[in-house]
Amino acid sequence: MSFLTRNAIPLVCLLVGMLIVVSGMRPAKYDTPFDIESFAELPVQAGGRILPIDSVVRNSLLIMRGRQTALLPDGETTSAIVWFMTMSFNPEAAEQMRVFRIDHDQVLGLFGWQQGDQKYFSFDELRPHFETIREQTSKINEQPELRTPYEKQLFKLYQALTLYYQLGGVLHPAQDLDTLPEQYAEWATIAIPGKQAADNYAADAPADWRVLAEYVRFAPRYEELANNAYFSIVPPRTAEQEEIHDWINVGEALLHTQETGEVDPVVLDYAELTVAWRQADPERFNAALASLHAQLDPHANLGKIAFEQFFNQFEPFLRAWILYIFVFILAALSFLVLPQSFQRAAFWVLILAFIVHTFGLLARMYIQDRPPVTNLYSSAIFVGWGAVVLGLILERIFRNGIGSFTSGLVGLLTLIIAHNLAKTGDTLEMMQAVLDSNFWLATHVVIITAGYSAMFLAGFLGVLYVNWRLCPGRLDKNGRTLYRMAYGITCFGLVFSFVGTMLGGIWADQSWGRFWGWDPKENGALMIVLWCALMLHARIGGVCRETGFMQLAIAGNIMTAWAWFGTNMLGIGLHSYGFMDKAFVWLMIFAGSQLVLIGLGFFAPSKPRPPIEA
Amino acid sequence: MALFRFFSSLKLTVWLLGLSLVLVFFGTLAQVHFGIHETQARYFESFYVFWQYPLEWPAGETLRWIHLPLPGGFTLGILLVINLVCAHFRYFRPRWNRIGIAITHFGVVLLLVSGFLISAFQEESRMGIKQGSTSNFATSFHDNELVLIDHSHPDYDELTSIPGSLLKDGNTVALPELGLEVRVIDFMPNAMLASKMQNPTGPEPRANRGAAQRMGMFAVEKPSVSSDDERNNPTAIVELVTPEGSLGTWLVSDFMDQPGIPPQAFELKGKTYELMLRQKRIYMPFTLQLDKFSHDVYPGTEIPKNFSSDIQIITPGETSTQPALVYMNHPLRHGGYTFFQASFLAAEQTRDGIPWTIFQVVENPVWQLPYYAVAIVGIGMCVQFLISLSAFTNRMKKASA
Repeated sequence: MSFLTRNAIPLVCLLVGMLIVVSGMRPAKYDTPFDIESFAELPVQAGGRILPIDSVVRNSLLIMRGRQTALLPDGETTSAIVWFMTMSFNPEAAEQMRVFRIDHDQVLGLFGWQQGDQKYFSFDELRPHFETIREQTSKINEQPELRTPYEKQLFKLYQALTLYYQLGGVLHPAQDLDTLPEQYAEWATIAIPGKQAADNYAADAPADWRVLAEYVRFAPRYEELANNAYFSIVPPRTAEQEEIHDWINVGEALLHTQETGEVDPVVLDYAELTVAWRQADPERFNAALASLHAQLDPHANLGKIAFEQFFNQFEPFLRAWILYIFVFILAALSFLVLPQSFQRAAFWVLILAFIVHTFGLLARMYIQDRPPVTNLYSSAIFVGWGAVVLGLILERIFRNGIGSFTSGLVGLLTLIIAHNLAKTGDTLEMMQAVLDSNFWLATHVVIITAGYSAMFLAGFLGVLYVNWRLCPGRLDKNGRTLYRMAYGITCFGLVFSFVGTMLGGIWADQSWGRFWGWDPKENGALMIVLWCALMLHARIGGVCRETGFMQLAIAGNIMTAWAWFGTNMLGIGLHSYGFMDKAFVWLMIFAGSQLVLIGLGFFAPSKPRPPIEA
Repeated sequence: MALFRFFSSLKLTVWLLGLSLVLVFFGTLAQVHFGIHETQARYFESFYVFWQYPLEWPAGETLRWIHLPLPGGFTLGILLVINLVCAHFRYFRPRWNRIGIAITHFGVVLLLVSGFLISAFQEESRMGIKQGSTSNFATSFHDNELVLIDHSHPDYDELTSIPGSLLKDGNTVALPELGLEVRVIDFMPNAMLASKMQNPTGPEPRANRGAAQRMGMFAVEKPSVSSDDERNNPTAIVELVTPEGSLGTWLVSDFMDQPGIPPQAFELKGKTYELMLRQKRIYMPFTLQLDKFSHDVYPGTEIPKNFSSDIQIITPGETSTQPALVYMNHPLRHGGYTFFQASFLAAEQTRDGIPWTIFQVVENPVWQLPYYAVAIVGIGMCVQFLISLSAFTNRMKKASA
């Protein structure tokens, strides 16, 4: 075969892959003279870190709707930032947008709705039922772990509504938006004398009643904003705040006027934005935006903000996920037709997917200034990544499409898991004090997670093996290779799981004087170590043969899933930071499916296999 | 010989590893009910255990009778060590390409042995210090003691301690130095206290001296608890007997060991003794003084960022003190004890608005052993991995050549 015929299919496939990647890189186009892009990049402070406003808004929609977009009344989707701007500048219009996801029939039943009609609801549609929601929510079980699925969904809806309310008051009080600048001007003149009058009144001293009456038109509302705003928009104003990088929210900034007699310029500019938007005046809007950036940018790491904004838009893990599906299909095809071409195509696209995946991983590390694994979400990202590294190595050595096939499969499955784990909010959240150690996060956590990668890879090699075993002739060529791959990866898994677990022991000894505390998560890791040891000893001792070893490898999937997720579901122990509810059902489904696959290995093969050497 | 073959067989290894796995799995599930401490004692520091089908699982009511006998951690650990040692005598041939496995197995034996030693020697306790105050003792999590304290010396207190393990119904403990016998009339592992003054319909007090007599204090026995966030209040009715006759009966309880409850005292040979049932105290040959406790959160959130305690170590007889900072992941090791920043009471949580720090105190003479063991296993695994890798690449080269 000439170079071209050998490489035509791989080249075309790689090109398609590149298109998928590049399509995410062009900046979002908004068909409007308002500079939405620049608004999205305004720095704010939420959850203890400074980030572009777009990140907060996307994460909020993930919590409410499970996606990073909002649904317009006509069924079209719109970007998170446009939804947020609508909500802030034109609340009535935003109330028509469908941003609340409800799919539990009993919750829908509360409002007289049937399951199946629609999944997403607008604020406006829910408005008549607020009293019902409030009343029913007050009845649910106080202990989160004992709640029924109905109670969990209802509580989630309640939280989503609270979040909606809090987001509505993040830039300004959500009423009388057209007169915001006038209100602020009035407040600036009344704030100091008003506060004085209120203090006098509280101290039973004579107070100016007219001033007091003016004052109470504003102060309580601002007080409420200060208590409820979801994130902070005003950079540090005092040396004390500056020292701990403490931004203040709009309510706090407005209350601060009681000491200075002036409304903070950032708050004024946001009011200017609002009015300009409402009067459809893009020039005025963009000018106010420029002024805001001039004030806020010095308080933020601009490179990081812009980078995070690019990261948000590019969605590297979504793109890597699409590529993994592609790899999986190509590798599967290679087992049926044109093995050489499709193997190569799968391998090339796998490399591309790996690059995108690696970029996403590094980008998170850069934004967060942390090692790659900091929470359950990032562990899913990393498990997939680790499996792909190992798969690439296998493919490089054996060149038979198996490495691409299995690592593509593990890659796409783990990214689906990651996507579902992201629905709890900011995945770049701050670390709890006890976890605040980059050294241990970089060693113990990363190594143990790499151990999970190896276990899953070996397990999926086993899955491939038991399936091929039923196809006549399939294993003649590849059976021994698959077995050797699984054996090598299991050894790797044992080393990583053991070293990772023991590093955890050292960390524990350093943190609370207990090398080993039988904590559920520690036990999970220990179970993986024991399982690997069992597999290797069963093999060397002749307790199992080739098929048996592959069945044990599949069972390793169950152990790993238990260590990874199951232990967190117990809701106890030092590692229960990643508690989840719905995932239990999925864990059971996964364990069940693996058991079925192990059972498959007991069916008569196409022809007897020779015994293996010890 | 058959016995040796049995103990050295790899089949046994596979069985033991499998059973260990099952034990660890059920030992994890059991923590939901029993808490870590109790589970550890039942599953991992025992020779056998019966696992029972949990009530909350599907059909828990009907399947509750299911009991699964399992070998405990001690049994499996001992068998694994025997199996490993025997297997080495049976299979080991001095061959370089197996050296990594030999090193690994040696490390594993050391790790198992250090596990036994730690479970035998490690003592864990807690020390709470109020900001601006000092402390020279830690209290045990789970052990109790009945103490008689003589305050009559100006420089020190003389303390007689009876370990909680001796407090059993009907037991008599002789204290010849004091010329006294303590008879345990009734010991309750967990009880609730109340007084006739608050609760006139309650049962009659069963003691005739101290708080029982003064305030009509009585105890109602409760079932023991073992979860991680609850504590038992051990309580007892004791009679103090001298050769001349009984001094009377007292109600003593760990519940009374808190500020605001006056101590119970009695007179003997002209001396006044205080009588207390309390969590066992471990006194240290030095004193810690908490200068300042700090607790930071991330801006605009409630997520804790750091806890730290600024302390001074005061050693009797030395004029200067040694300053130290204890914070997350950075314990203080001093005088054979290790102090870890475990918890705290924030200023808002205390009555006088002064924060407390709470240290976990660990005394473990063999704490370094697992480090060595782990290092040895790690080295062994890496060596073996490299040996296999080079063998593998050689094979691949030959295959492709």
